[in-house]
Amino acid sequence: MAEIIQQSSGGDGKKRAKKLSTRVDMTPMVDLAFLLLTFFVLTSTFSKPKVLRMIFPEKLDKNNPQVKQPEVKNGLTLLLTKDNRLFYYNGALKADNPPTEISYTKDGLRTILIERNAPLIKQLKELQNKLAKVAAADTAAKNKIEREAKDAQQKSSLVILVKPDKDATYENVIDIVDEFLITQVAKYFVVDTGFDPLERKLVDEKLNQ
Amino acid sequence: MPKVKMPRSAPSLDMTPMVDLAFLLVTFFILTSSFRAPEPVILDPPASTTEIQIPKQVFLVMIDEEGRVYVDITNAAVKSKVLKQIMSEFKVQGMSEEDINNFGGVGPVGLRAAEIPAFMALESSDRPNYEQKGIPYDTAESKIKTCELYYWAYLTKIEAHNDYKQREEEAKLKNMEFDKSNYIQFAIKAASNAKYDKINQVIQVFREAKVKQFQMITGLESAPN
Repeated sequence: MAEIIQQSSGGDGKKRAKKLSTRVDMTPMVDLAFLLLTFFVLTSTFSKPKVLRMIFPEKLDKNNPQVKQPEVKNGLTLLLTKDNRLFYYNGALKADNPPTEISYTKDGLRTILIERNAPLIKQLKELQNKLAKVAAADTAAKNKIEREAKDAQQKSSLVILVKPDKDATYENVIDIVDEFLITQVAKYFVVDTGFDPLERKLVDEKLNQ
Repeated sequence: MPKVKMPRSAPSLDMTPMVDLAFLLVTFFILTSSFRAPEPVILDPPASTTEIQIPKQVFLVMIDEEGRVYVDITNAAVKSKVLKQIMSEFKVQGMSEEDINNFGGVGPVGLRAAEIPAFMALESSDRPNYEQKGIPYDTAESKIKTCELYYWAYLTKIEAHNDYKQREEEAKLKNMEFDKSNYIQFAIKAASNAKYDKINQVIQVFREAKVKQFQMITGLESAPN
């Protein structure tokens, strides 16, 4: 190792066989070991990417053009357009009641979603509290509560139509779907037909203001 | 007072345990890390709060901000099989059996079927320099014949099923437990600022190929309380 063996130089003039140290200088090896270590630490990634699951209905038969726009009577429609702008309206759109602009941030869309989806969120919270009380070993009861939560989501979730136009970005859509995940909205549809003429007109009026 | 005589030797430290540790860590990182195949594009996907992990095996469609599409199948054997069928579907010749087998490991590609033989003929160090223009994916009525992405998706769907069945049978023969989650799933990874229009077109191709469920790959974002 890095050790300096001090020799006392006696002046007796006798030549002795030098005692060689059996120690090897390990410093370069250590340097190399740490270099490799640093390289592997810096280049390896531990967090795997996450995924958002999406389900789309199967394509309709072309010979059967009964393609009907899903109608939402009691729900929200979100209109995604250029420059990361977002509009929404309740129920059916009327010409004298144009869509309202809203932001993608926590104070914008999320507040509205939480407010509109409040009954379901409350229900799910109650179920979660129930789940916490159930004994860990009681899987039957657990499964029952989980099923109840799923049913509640299917039955009383807010219904939302998402309509991105050709200028909306991928990030916009993912942001919206992520908000749904946070606010427990289970029924949403990402529509691929773009805006209706009326929606287009009203949104364009807002954009040009 | 008598002087205390200090032994005159250089300060030394036994480094052996430290070295042991360093090599242990090096070994760990070498064994756990796997090197990614070079990617033709670097994408920055948007973040989300979901906690679902990426499936073990995916048919990955990458979409960059200009709407070019690249595909990759993480299972090399399936990828080679799909390529073979694509080659016969589009009547492209001039690919050796070896090149087809090697294709499984080259990472994502955004090439027309006709370009692939030339691409595979290159040395692997030259491949990143090859300009990849993306796979055609327009499903409009007149273009369905040239929509190569459709064939990629459709053939992968079939091969994924075959691969699953094959592994299930093998597991049965060897009396081993069979990992059911190891099914090739469809995933989309797109740049944040890609137009949704383009992603929608890819989704339409998936729907055309009767793929209903797929995953959107996102970065990680901490969940709000």
